[in-house]
Amino acid sequence: MSLIEAIRADASQLLQEGHVKMVLGYRARYDRRLPLLITQADQVTALVYDEACWQNLPTYIRKSEVRSAMPVAIVCRPEGIRSLLVLASEAQIAPDAVRVLAVVGSEYRGAMDLAAAAELIKDLPPAPVAPDVAAKLDELAAMSANDRAAFWRDALAACTRCYACRASCPVCYCQNCVVERNTPQIVSTTAAPHGNFAWNIVRAFHQAGRCTLCGACQAACPQDLPLMLLNAWIERQVREEFAFISGSGLNEPPFIGSWSPNDDDKFIR
Amino acid sequence: MTDTTATAHTPGQGKEQFEPTIIAFVCNWCTYAGADLAGTSRLKYDANIRIIKLPCTGRIDPLLVLKAFESGADGVLVSGCHPGDCHYTSGNFHARRRWAIFHRLLELTGIDSSRLHFSWVSAAEGQKFADLVNDVVSKVRLAGPFDAVNPARRRS
Amino acid sequence: MTNSSADARVFAAGSLDAVAAALVAAGFRVVAPVRQGDLTRLTLWQPGQAIDLEHFTVNSAKEFLLPATETIQRYDIDGNDFTPVEVAPDATKTVLLGIRPCDAASLTLMDTVFNWDFEDVFYNTRRQACIVVPLVCTRADESCFCTSVGLGPDSSRNADAMLMFAEGGKKLILSPVTEKGRTLAASAGAAAQAAPDKTCDVPVRFNVQAVTAWLADAFDSPAWAELSAGCLSCGACAYACGSCHCFDIQDESAAGGAVRYRNWDACCMALFTKHTSGHNPRSASQARWRQRVMHKFSYIPQRFNLLGCTGCGRCTRLCPAGMTVAETCERIDAICQSTPSVK
Repeated sequence: MSLIEAIRADASQLLQEGHVKMVLGYRARYDRRLPLLITQADQVTALVYDEACWQNLPTYIRKSEVRSAMPVAIVCRPEGIRSLLVLASEAQIAPDAVRVLAVVGSEYRGAMDLAAAAELIKDLPPAPVAPDVAAKLDELAAMSANDRAAFWRDALAACTRCYACRASCPVCYCQNCVVERNTPQIVSTTAAPHGNFAWNIVRAFHQAGRCTLCGACQAACPQDLPLMLLNAWIERQVREEFAFISGSGLNEPPFIGSWSPNDDDKFIR
Repeated sequence: MTDTTATAHTPGQGKEQFEPTIIAFVCNWCTYAGADLAGTSRLKYDANIRIIKLPCTGRIDPLLVLKAFESGADGVLVSGCHPGDCHYTSGNFHARRRWAIFHRLLELTGIDSSRLHFSWVSAAEGQKFADLVNDVVSKVRLAGPFDAVNPARRRS
Repeated sequence: MTNSSADARVFAAGSLDAVAAALVAAGFRVVAPVRQGDLTRLTLWQPGQAIDLEHFTVNSAKEFLLPATETIQRYDIDGNDFTPVEVAPDATKTVLLGIRPCDAASLTLMDTVFNWDFEDVFYNTRRQACIVVPLVCTRADESCFCTSVGLGPDSSRNADAMLMFAEGGKKLILSPVTEKGRTLAASAGAAAQAAPDKTCDVPVRFNVQAVTAWLADAFDSPAWAELSAGCLSCGACAYACGSCHCFDIQDESAAGGAVRYRNWDACCMALFTKHTSGHNPRSASQARWRQRVMHKFSYIPQRFNLLGCTGCGRCTRLCPAGMTVAETCERIDAICQSTPSVK
C-alpha cells in the first residue's frame, strides 16, 4: 500500500467508525497542494500527499467549524505534530480532540492519538534550518547595526499587511490579535516601514518558544518575505541559551511565560 | 559598569552636540524610587532622559520599547528591581526571560546594545541610577541620532 | 485579435528596456514587471532593470492608483494649536507598461467606485496621470479566467496603448489607442507595422450569468459552509486583487504632529465589520467568504452593471488555502446545473 493509500484507508476508517467527524488533509489542484476538509468517508479519494504539501494543517483548529467537528484527524509532519503539542500545552485543544495521521519524511507512521504522536517525535530532531537561512543569519550577524536595519527595511518593504503569515500559523490563534487591538492602535496597521517592522517583529517575538519552524508563514506570504530568518534566529536563541525546543510534549511549560532563577542576565547591568 | 567619573552634561553646553532623547521604562518600586533618591540627593544626571513609570518590569510589553523607537527615541532604558527583590515576587523574572529574546531580536534587526539598555536599580541605588543615565546618554550620543532609514522609526 | 493601429511602433522584444529608458528620459515614471528573487512584481522601474513579460506578477496595477498606504493629510501640533496641512495628490505622469489586460480592465470598477458618491482626488489625480499599456497575453495558466467574466487576453478596455508580441515573441508592437497613448509612441522608434502573434486560449470555466442569478437568492444557502471551508481569513486575495478597493483610515501621531493614512483593508478579515459594541455581524469566516463572492458577482453588478472581478487569477495563485472566487463560481455553476429548477 502506498503512503497516500494508507492515509486514505485510515481516514476512511476513522470517519466511518465515528472516531472523528472531520479529516484535514491535502488535495491537488493542478500542481498546487491545498488543504482539504472532509466529513464523509467517500471523500477520502480526493486526499493526496507529497513533499509539495506545505501547509501546517493544525492552523485550521482556530476555525469554529473545525472545533465544533472535534474530534478531528489531521495529516501532520513532525513540525505539525509539534504545533499540536504546543496547542495542547497551551490548553487550546484537549489531548483527545485530535488524532494525528503522521507522516515522517516519506513514510506514513499511522493514525495515532496525540500522546502517541508526542512519543513519536521524541526521537526526531526539530525541524532543520534551511542552509540559505543559516547563511543569511551569519551574514547579518557580521553587519553593523545600521546595515542590518537597512536590510530589514528593504526586506519588509513589500509587506502589504495581508496577514497570510498569521493565518497559516497554527500557534497564531488569538481571536483578538495584538494588531487588531485598536483602542488604542498599538501596532501600526500602515504598510510603511515602521508598521511592517512592528508587525513582523512583534509576530516573530510572540512565537518565541512556540514556533516549530514549519515554514508555512513564509510559504504563504504572497510577497515571499524572508520570515524564516526571524523565526530561525529566535529559535536558535531559545535552543542555545535555554535548551528549549518548541512542541516537545503534551504538557510543556510555556517558554516566554516561564522563568528560572538561573536565566542569563549578563546583558543587564 | 558605568563610568563613575563621568560628569553630568547639561544640554545647551558644548557646540551643537547631538542631544539624544532617551525613554526609560522603569518599575515603580525600585528604579523609580532610586531615581527619586538621586533627585533628593541632588545628584546631577543628564536631562535627556524621560521616565515612564510602570508598576513592574513584568508589565513592560516589548511593544512599548518598539513604540518608543517608532515615536522618536534615540535610545531606550528598561530598568527594574534586582532578581529576588521584585515587589510582585516574580515580575522581573518574567521580564528577564522576555528581554533575553527580545534584545537579541532587535539586535538582528538593527537596534543594538548601544541604544537599548537594561538594568537592575534598587530604591537605594540613587548614585547607580545617576551614573547609569549618564552612561546611557553618552553611549547613545556616541551612536548618533536614530538612523532615519531604520524601519523602526516612523517617518512622516 | 487586436490589429495594430496606423501609428504603431515595432521594436525588438529585447529593446523594451531601452523603450522604458526613453520614456524615463522623456519625463515619465515607468511601472513595469521586474523579476525579484523567485517572483515577478510590478514595480517602479529603474534603468538597468530587466522587464519581465514572461511571468505573472504577484501584484496588480492597483497599488499605483490606490497605494497600500497613502498619506492623505498631515497635522502640525504645537501645544494646543492644531493645524491641518493639505497633502498634494501625486500627479507624476506614470506609464503602466506591460501590465495585463485584466489589470487594465479592473480600472473600470475602480474609476466607478472612486467617483460614484464622492470624487476621490487622490485616486483621480493618479488615474489622470496614468498611461495604461497592457500586454496582450500569448500565454495563460490554469488560474486565468478572464474569458469567464466577459474579457479576453486581448481586451483593450482602459488601454491607452497596447503592447503585442509579434514574430513569435521576438518583436513587440506598441499600438496607441488614445491620445495619451500616442504621446508614448515617440519613445518607441519609427512607425512600423507587424502582425500580432496569436493570443492564448483561455477556456471558459463557469457561466457567470448563472452564478449571478443564483447569488440573487442565495444569502441563506447552506452551500456557503462547504464553499468557505478552507478560508483562513487573511487578506492575501483582496490585496492581490486589482478590483478590490476597500480601505481603512488611520491617524498616527508623534511629537509635533500627526499623519492620516489611507490603508488597504479587506472584508475577509474578522475585524472588518466589528462594531464598537463588540458585535460582529460577520464573525464567521463563512459569512465573510459569502460577502466577498456576492460583492463581486451580485452586489456590484446590481449597483453598477459591472462585474467586480476581471479573471486575473491572482487570488488563485496566492491563496495559501486554495480559496478562489473562480473555484467558488465553478461550484456554484455546478449546483445550478445539477438542480436547474431549485435554488
